Order: sequence, then structure tokens, then C-alpha cells
Amino acid sequence: MSTMKPSLPFFISTVVLLSLATAGIAAGPGPDAGGGSLSGVVKFQGAAPMPMRIQMAADPACSKSHTTPAMSEEVVTDGSGGLANVVVYVSDGLGDKTFDAPTQPVVLEQKGCVYEPHVLAMRAGQTLKVVNDDSTTHNIHPTPANNREWNKSQPPGLTIEETFARQEVSVPVKCNVHPWMKSYVAVVKNPYFAVSAKNGSFEIKDLPAGTYTIQAWHEKLGTKSQQVTIGANESKKVEFDFR
Amino acid sequence: MTRSTGRIAGILLSLTLLLLCARPASAIPAFARKYGLPCSACHEAWPKLSNFGQVFRDNGYQLGNDRDSPIYQNPSYWPIMFRTSTQWHRETFDRFPLDSIPGNPNSPTVESNITTSGFDLTGIDMFAAGTLYKNISFGIQPFIDNTGRIHLETAFVRFDNLLGSPWINLKFGKFELDNLISERRILTLDNNGFYQLYHFKPAGDNNIFGGLGSNQLGVELLGHSRNSYTRYSVSLLSSTNGAVNLPTSHTYDVYADFTQGFEIPGLGLQRVGVYGYFGKSPTYFQTSGGNAIPGTGSGNRSYYRTGVYGLWYIGKFDFSTFYMHGQENVFLGNGVRADQPFNLPLGAAGPSWNGGFVEAHYTYNPRLILISKYELIRMSRQANPSRADNFGNLDTWTIGYRWYPFMSTRAGLAWLQEYSRTQTAGTAPLSGLSSTSSSYLMGFDFDF
Amino acid sequence: MRFRTLIPRVLGLLLLTCSVASAQESRIGDLTGHANRGKALYERYCIFCHGTHGDGRGESAAYLDPKPRDFTQATYKCRSTPTGTLPLDSDLYDTITRGVHASGMPSWNPLTRQQRADLVAYIKTFSSRFTEEKPGAPIPIPAEPPTTPESVQRGADLFQSMNCWQCHGKEGRGNGPSAVSLTDTKGYPITPFDFTSGPRFKCGNSDTELFRDLVTGLDGTPMPSFTDALKPDQIWDLVHFVKTLAKGNTVQAVQSTPKGNQ
Repeated sequence: MSTMKPSLPFFISTVVLLSLATAGIAAGPGPDAGGGSLSGVVKFQGAAPMPMRIQMAADPACSKSHTTPAMSEEVVTDGSGGLANVVVYVSDGLGDKTFDAPTQPVVLEQKGCVYEPHVLAMRAGQTLKVVNDDSTTHNIHPTPANNREWNKSQPPGLTIEETFARQEVSVPVKCNVHPWMKSYVAVVKNPYFAVSAKNGSFEIKDLPAGTYTIQAWHEKLGTKSQQVTIGANESKKVEFDFR
Repeated sequence: MTRSTGRIAGILLSLTLLLLCARPASAIPAFARKYGLPCSACHEAWPKLSNFGQVFRDNGYQLGNDRDSPIYQNPSYWPIMFRTSTQWHRETFDRFPLDSIPGNPNSPTVESNITTSGFDLTGIDMFAAGTLYKNISFGIQPFIDNTGRIHLETAFVRFDNLLGSPWINLKFGKFELDNLISERRILTLDNNGFYQLYHFKPAGDNNIFGGLGSNQLGVELLGHSRNSYTRYSVSLLSSTNGAVNLPTSHTYDVYADFTQGFEIPGLGLQRVGVYGYFGKSPTYFQTSGGNAIPGTGSGNRSYYRTGVYGLWYIGKFDFSTFYMHGQENVFLGNGVRADQPFNLPLGAAGPSWNGGFVEAHYTYNPRLILISKYELIRMSRQANPSRADNFGNLDTWTIGYRWYPFMSTRAGLAWLQEYSRTQTAGTAPLSGLSSTSSSYLMGFDFDF
Repeated sequence: MRFRTLIPRVLGLLLLTCSVASAQESRIGDLTGHANRGKALYERYCIFCHGTHGDGRGESAAYLDPKPRDFTQATYKCRSTPTGTLPLDSDLYDTITRGVHASGMPSWNPLTRQQRADLVAYIKTFSSRFTEEKPGAPIPIPAEPPTTPESVQRGADLFQSMNCWQCHGKEGRGNGPSAVSLTDTKGYPITPFDFTSGPRFKCGNSDTELFRDLVTGLDGTPMPSFTDALKPDQIWDLVHFVKTLAKGNTVQAVQSTPKGNQ
């Protein structure tokens, strides 16, 4: 089974769709209809650092899957200063409200020895489905501070399902076999969160009227915080600036 | 002064001198530095060993992890330890033989009390020990007594875990006898800070053997279970009492020890053991110009020490119990050459005695230990029947404590206070009554 | 000068000793360990590496590599339970008894069984996980098939395909291409095990223990669990192969066949 190459186009496309769906919609319909919507953009002020080229030569199974060199995703910006991969979530203001975890899983994909998506947000208790599309063996190793640490070897084609019980923004996930592989899984205990898109935009839907602390977390640039008051059916815009 | 009172006074004085230089002992911060472990891992209260320390020692100063071999040490690591003790002490002796006119040896002898006190210093103990290679260990211990003389207490190489088994370890050189109740690791430092039984000889005995407390030259075979609950050792020793240059004869002594530990639920580890020392000592030498020629000892006569011991743990209390039966050949006991039996007194016999001690400790925590000790010796047969049956019987007790202000992997410091009192029957030079000495000591014991 | 600072510290420690310890217990076979008794033992034997708060930051920690275990995380290498789950009391007891090869942790076998059980109980008090969660179910270990050249060869192939060599190196010397990048969960550099160093392993030397380690993974380190990745027979193959890498091992080493690398 050493160089088994799964050619499961149907499976992969499903996975890609699913992961796009989770990244885009993020929260899904909230429990309080008639809630407001919080949207905005995360900006990076100043000149963004040049992305670094990832050296994958140690495992040819990885390097062969890239026609153009893979680049690091630590700070990803678009031309107009939008900052991607920022987790925006309600950190305070919901009181003691609890939310049942959705039954559908979120998917973390390993493809070309890179995690897709690089930053993933999910609910506490939700199932994380880890997929290996590569022809090489990975190990999937989250190193949480506030959750169970586990570490599993994952040969090609194997799918692993795990959960995180407690809120933690964010759990670093790495593959020790391929040291360049890093991703972050934000575990949020409420459904009000989003991950900024390539242009820095994000939207949190169906947020009940109230005053909230909104936090924006970035793996390298730290955490920003804002107080936001939102009315019923209100659409509010906020901006987070990192530098 | 009669010949016998002079002899007794001499014994008392030499005893005092012996006691004033504290026994060199082993509590070895060099090991703590090497392994990053505090004193309290190997010592219940240093220098008394815990079973963990006992296993470490039995294993040739090796923990069994990858820091054992010198190759894993920082090159600047130096496996050496220094220890000394600074103190203030007060000593009293009663019924001590005194010249009635000081400075005039021909004046009548009287019995009187003597008291001395002051600040003082024990010698400096240096101990280098560790591994030369994986499973080859060594120990070197020069001891500078408080007059500046250097004694070579220990010098050995030891081959550990031969054939991969903890049951075969071979030690070669000069070393401490395999006593689990070790005088080298005794907790008390004062005038009775040693075990009387480890040095006892009846008055007038000329055996060269210094007792179980003396380090000897020879070879030791030792084996132990992985946790040292079961241990044995057999030593073949030159009959020189550890002296170099073969000063006596070319005979050999044998020492053997066997112990078995067992756990009692709720109490902890208990240990029992048996031991025996069987030796020979010359009674005369060939002489040149009247001076004995070393190595020509003849007329060897035998002696032995044998007994049982136990180490008992009850929670924070523990008790070291020790019993000895000792016996000497009639010539040794009377200090008479074996080729001159006509010099033996009428009805002379080989002296024998029984003795024992109980030492109790309360280890409040690794930094505070309370100590009490009671030791007695009873003559069961006198060498010379003209002596009273109880002549030389001895009772001694000690109380004290040691407090360690800090625990560290680098050095040890103890503050200690002790009081002890010793009574010897029939040895007052004139009255033939018992004589008593007492000692109070406080000070610091430290090593690094 | 020194004593003036020492005395309050010592008094503080005495007070600490007097304070009520947790009622945490441990059960190992017929033994029941008690945390309050374990505390005194911990302060005697363990505190200098693992620290007052069990966080692995004792006085000697700076000089140790690998670093002492941080008990507050309740993440343990040597377990019989699946990755991410708490160890059994007996797993902690076995580690204390055995020591951890290639680390500063010695065997505490010289302590009585009761003392070791008491220590397990006390170590558990450093993490609330031991009161909130149950240990995982011990992984089953099927009977070991015989070590055959075929089994060793299959193990050698798995050593390649499972990317073991990326960390442990092609000859098992712990010098694979990813080796230098490895850290433990706390971020300290960690060296992959050098299988040629001898027949001793971190969590026990028997084939059964190696099988167990491959199934459970060594949590807190980069070593993953192969529980989903491999079938039991394949894990036995890997055990058989890995044992051939040790120097002086009687089983003839099988030439591993590198695949997919230059």
C-alpha cells in the first residue's frame, strides 16, 4: 500500500464542495430567526510579507503534486489589503446560551501535503473529518491547549473523524512527518463565527439583537477585539485592522 | 598511676580522640548534580539512605538511565564532593584519672570531673565517586582529619552487573563493609556519633581489627534483586584492618551479609538481615632490634562478630535495630603472645559479649528528622576472671535532630543539635565504679 | 542573609504540607493509592524535576532533555488507552516503576508498591481531566504471530510507506529528514527514537509493549497512533522489523527498500 494513489474524483469533489460550503457559510442558519447580520472586512495595513516557498523535497510524493511551488499561507492578503484566514467570532455577549452542535461534519483536507483550508472554524462537539488525498502517509496531530490532544497516522485514503469538546481559538494542527504542514482549527461554542475570505470579507448571519464582543484572531498577527451592538434585522459593518 | 588505670585512661583518651574526628561519611551532591535529583531522593534525611539510594549504590552509582555513563556528562562535570561540619560542643567526663598536682606524674591519682567546650571543626571529607564507564564504577575518599592528616578511607573500582545480572558485582580495593546500617551514613555527629558496637573491643584486647566500622582492603562480591529487597555480599579481606603495606600477616578475613526486605501493607518496607565477620589477628611479630617487622605477624588467633539486624518502618517513624555477638580468642583478649601461653592469667578465657542498639527516627519531612538512639553492650565472659562480670559494660543514648533549611540538587546543609551520654561499668580508675561522659553539640553539617 | 529569605520559604512549605490535599485515589490491581500520602512522596522524589505545580518546571528541568512531563496537561506517552484519552492508573504506575528510557526519568521500582500507587493518585490531582473524564478503554492486543523473514520484510515496507523513516531515518537512527523539525507539544525540540541504540524502548521493551505503543501513539510527542492506519498483523510486522534495527539483535536485519525518495 506504499504508493497507492486513490483516484476518487467523485469523493474529492464532494469533499471540496463540502469544505467550500463550510468555509463560506460557516455558521449556517442560527436558532434565532430575525437576527441581524454582521459583516465586514479584515484589513492588513502596510506591506504584506512575501509568502515563503515551501520546500517539500524531503517527500517526493508531496513535491510531485505541485506544478507551481507551494507557498506558505501564514499571511495571505489580496491586492487591496484584505487579510484572509482570520477567524471572526462572538466571544462574549450571548450569556449562558448553549447551542447544540450540528450533525454535519466539517472537512479538513490534506492535498499536495498542504491543509485545505488553512484555517478552519467549527463548532465545539462537531465532527471534524480529516481526509488524506495524497499518495503519502501523514499524521494528523492537533496540539490544543484546552482540548484532548491526539495524534494519528493517516495513510492514503484513510478518513479520520474526531471532535473537540471545548472552545479554543485556535487549535494548531500539524503533520510531524511533513513539518511544513500547519493549519488551525478554531473551535467555537456558538454558531456565530466566520473565516475571512481571500479579500478579507466575512459575514456572520442571524445574530440575535444584542451587544457583543467580537474577536478577530489571526495565527501570526494576534487577536483584535470590538464591541458591537446589533438590532433586530440590522445589517452592521465592522472592520478589523491588523498590522 | 597503676598500670591498669593508665591503660584505662589511655583507652578513654584514645576513644575521645577517635570521636573528635567525626566519621567521614557519604552524602554526595556530585550525584545529585549529575542526575538532577535532590538529596531527598536517595536519602531519607542525608546521609541516611532510602531504598532508592540503596539501589543506586548497589547498582554501582547508576540509575539505569542514560546519564550513567561518563560520556553523557558535560565535560566540565567533576564527580567530587566535600563535606565538613562546623560546631560548638561541650564534653564532660566524670571519674577521670587526674594527677593531684597538675604537671607532676608522680603525684597521687585522683578521680575528678573534666569539662571542656568550644568551637570546633571536624575534618574535611572528600569523596569522588561515579562511573568510569557504563557498569564500571569507582570511589575514592581521602579524609583530612581535623589535625590535617590525610587518611585514605576508600579507593575501589567496581564491576557492576556482570553477565548483565544485578546478582554479580565485584568490588576491588578499600571500601566500607557492606553494612545496611552504615556508620558512614549515620545521622549523629557528636561524641557518640558512631556505633559503639562497630568499634568495641574489651579492655586489654590487642586485636588489630578495628571493628565493623573500619574500612577494609579486599574484594567484595555483591548481588541484589532489582529493588534491592534481597541482597547478599561476601568479602575476602586482608587481615590488616585496612592498613596499607601489609603491616600484619598474610591471612584473610571473611565478611558476609544477607538481607531480605518485604512490604507490610500500610506500613512500608521492612528489612531483616544477618551478618558475620570472621577474622584472624597476629599476636606477635618477628622483630629487629626489638621493633616488630611489618608483615611478619604470627600466632594468628581468631575472632568473630556476628548478629542480626532489622530496619522497620511505621509511617514516618523508623527503627534501626542491631544485635551483635562478639568473641575473641583468649590470647587476643588478654594481649598475650600465642607462643607464650604461660603468660595467660589463671582461668583466662576468650572474652565474649552481646550488644545491640535501637535507633529511632521520626522523619517529619525530608527537611526535618528527629533522632534518638540507645545502645548497650554486656560482657558475657571476661578475658581475665579477676575482673568484675560487668567490667566494660556500656550504655549510651543520644537524642538530637537535623534540620535542612533547603533541599537542592547542588548542595546540602544541615543544622543539628545533639546530646548524648555514655556510661561504662567498672572503668573508673580508682573506685572501680562506672564512668560517665556526656556531650552536647550544635553546628552545621554541609557538603557540596 | 540567606536564611532570612529561607525561613519564610520553609514556613510556607510547611504550611503547604499541612494544607488539605485532594482526595484523589488510584487503583492498581489490589492497591489503592491516596493523593494525600502521594503528596509527601512527590515532594521528596519528584518535585525537583516536575515542579511544585506539576507543570514540569522544577529546579532541574532546565538541565534535562527531554523535559520532565507536565502533569497539568494530563497528556502521557506511555498508555494502554487510545490516543487522546486518559491513561489507566496502571499505565502511570508502570511508567513510574519502569522509568523512561533515554530520558532523565529513572526507575522508581525501589519504592514500595503502595508508595508508587500513592504517587499515581497525587499526580492525577494536577489535572482536572482526571475528575471530569474516564480513562480510555485499553486497546486489545492480539496474540503475536511468529517473527518470520516475511513478517520482517513486510514491516520494512511499512516502515517506508507509513513514512516512519521521515523522522526515524532510513536506518532507524532517528535522523530522518523531518527529525530536526520535531517538537513536543510544549514546543521543546524532541529527537525521534534511535532504534539502533539498543534493545530498550521508552515505554517498555517487550514486543507487546511495542505493539501497544504503535496502536496508542506517544501522546504529547510527534509519534502518532496507527490505530486506524494499520491492521494488527501489520503492526506486528512493524514491531518485528523495528526490533531488527537494534545493534546486536539476533534477527537478521532486512534491507529496507526505499521507495519514492531520491
